[in-house]
Amino acid sequence: MKILLVEDDRETGEYVSQGLREEGHVLSWATDGQQGVIEASGSEWDLLILDRMVPEIDGLGVVRLLRGVGVETPVLFLTALDGIDDRVTGLNAGADDYLAKPFAFAELVARVNALGRRPRRTLVETVLKIADLEIDLMTRTVSRAGHVIDLQPREFRLLEYLARHMGQVVTRTMLLENVWELRFDPHTNVVESHVSRLRAKLAVGGEKELIHTIRGAGYCLRDA
Amino acid sequence: MLRVFRTSAFRLTLLYAGIFCASFIALFAIIYWSTARYMDRQLDDTVSNEIAEIESDVANGSVASLQNIVSGLTLNSPGFFYLLQDHDGNVLAGNLPAMAPIVGIIDRAHVEIQDRTLSLRGKGVSLNENAFLFVGLNTIELHKMQRAIARTFVWGLIATIFISLLSGAFISFAMLARVEALSNVSREIVNGDLDRRISLRGSNDEFDHLAVSLNTMFDRIQGLMDGLRQVSTDIAHDLRTPLTRLRQRIEMTLRKADDVASLRTAFQATLKDVDSILDTFSALLRIAQLETSERRAKFTDVDLTDLLRTAIELYAPMAEEKEQSIIEKIDDGLTIRGDRELLLQLFANVLENAVRHSPSRALIEVGARRLVDGTVVSVCDNGPGIPEEMRTKVFQRFFRLEPSRTTPGSGLGLSLVKAIASLHNISVELLSNEPGLIVQVRFG
Repeated sequence: MKILLVEDDRETGEYVSQGLREEGHVLSWATDGQQGVIEASGSEWDLLILDRMVPEIDGLGVVRLLRGVGVETPVLFLTALDGIDDRVTGLNAGADDYLAKPFAFAELVARVNALGRRPRRTLVETVLKIADLEIDLMTRTVSRAGHVIDLQPREFRLLEYLARHMGQVVTRTMLLENVWELRFDPHTNVVESHVSRLRAKLAVGGEKELIHTIRGAGYCLRDA
Repeated sequence: MLRVFRTSAFRLTLLYAGIFCASFIALFAIIYWSTARYMDRQLDDTVSNEIAEIESDVANGSVASLQNIVSGLTLNSPGFFYLLQDHDGNVLAGNLPAMAPIVGIIDRAHVEIQDRTLSLRGKGVSLNENAFLFVGLNTIELHKMQRAIARTFVWGLIATIFISLLSGAFISFAMLARVEALSNVSREIVNGDLDRRISLRGSNDEFDHLAVSLNTMFDRIQGLMDGLRQVSTDIAHDLRTPLTRLRQRIEMTLRKADDVASLRTAFQATLKDVDSILDTFSALLRIAQLETSERRAKFTDVDLTDLLRTAIELYAPMAEEKEQSIIEKIDDGLTIRGDRELLLQLFANVLENAVRHSPSRALIEVGARRLVDGTVVSVCDNGPGIPEEMRTKVFQRFFRLEPSRTTPGSGLGLSLVKAIASLHNISVELLSNEPGLIVQVRFG
């Protein structure tokens, strides 16, 4: 993926850009908002990672400017501003995701992947298939190897989210935010218990494990 | 001293004094004018009567008989002045010099009679054979009277100015003293004596109201300051322990670990420590933010029934793993005003505590009902409960009951609950379920 990072802190900038390069992304790094706007509107990017507090034009301003001139590149805010309302402000300005500093690198990678590939996998498909698992998004039914699996609405949303990010690592907080719409971390194994319940239900139809636990990162739905 | 002239109280007093003097002057002018007019009219009436009497005495008689009557009157009527002249202006009788024959009321100033100069007011009439009769009175008494009124007025005005300025100075001094008292106390508070408060006079006037508002403000500021101080003490105290542990681990690693595998293990453990410190830190920040926030402006109507069911659903699998049952006794259609996300966090925390601290196969009951005086939510469990003397302490930051010290957790959960509750003006009470705990949340 071709990613533009706007970050004024040298340490964080190096940490993020080096790490993402190792993950196989192509990275460009701007150190202030003005440079960020120029580069972001100058060429095609798959993702913008913005710090909220950067010199010249702040992160919010950058997003507003870009959205104003029709640049629809996904934006991920990466910021130490973690107030109750900061997140809402950021998303309202036109950002697609918000990650508070300090963060685990696995969390960043998961979110970058989720954002970058999202546009290519939009609502075109109505049936998602992973091995012998079929998820019908229209009728909201799930079947495995022909057996219909009865899921509660929230379980369906959990599976749907995992399936939409098939093959990608999805973190606990991403699940909390997107499946339960929780902006806080309950710090207990709430997510684990929901996932293991879902696993148990999926195991009824076939024996092969589809939801994989990625240590220190999260979960991944894939056929392997 | 000079400050008094700059006070608004004094300026106001000056303004009032000005208005008072102006109305005093206006009042005087009206009195003076109407008195003068009244006296003039009195005089005119007297003169007219005199003339009417003369006319009736003569009754179409000749000028000669008129001349006799006027001459007689001139001798016998002191105070009156007469003039009778023929149409050529020759004086026929009376004690006044000749004048232009003007019919009607005439004011004549500076009339020279013998060695006196008089001011006269009188009436002229035209009689048979073009004779002209003038009867007048000396206006000296009138003028004396008017001067007396004017003099009284001047004294009155001086007294008015004097009294209004004096009372103005007095009022502004008194007000200034009370304002001074307020600003003295404020200054002392600014200088660090946060316990100082403005004393009330008990008169229940505007100054007392102001003092009460200021005192309330000072209380709030002191509360916030205490909160902040508490947070910093807590951070210093409770972050020092994990930081010390972290430091020791790094030191040990540097000393002992010499292969990549043990370095990796040590680093993983270190990362975990750092993460838990960061979690504690952000929880503390969040509590502090809630305690000082003005989030009420963003409150909306929240579907409490749905919110509670979401929270239950969130913890249902966890409870299932412990073979606990969550019983739901929630009325439909309960709504409250608040911040959905924060309220969800509140109930999630309470429910999480119930699930975590209750033993296997425990019963957890979540009830919500609308009562006459508000909505009540209760979360009951039959776990170990909290001893009565600890029930206020558990809301303090970092406080953890002895048995749970070894289990993971920051000791900040209930502090967060309390912070969210006080933002919403909700009361959270801990009661005994005998055995177990009831957390009762009351929406006012």
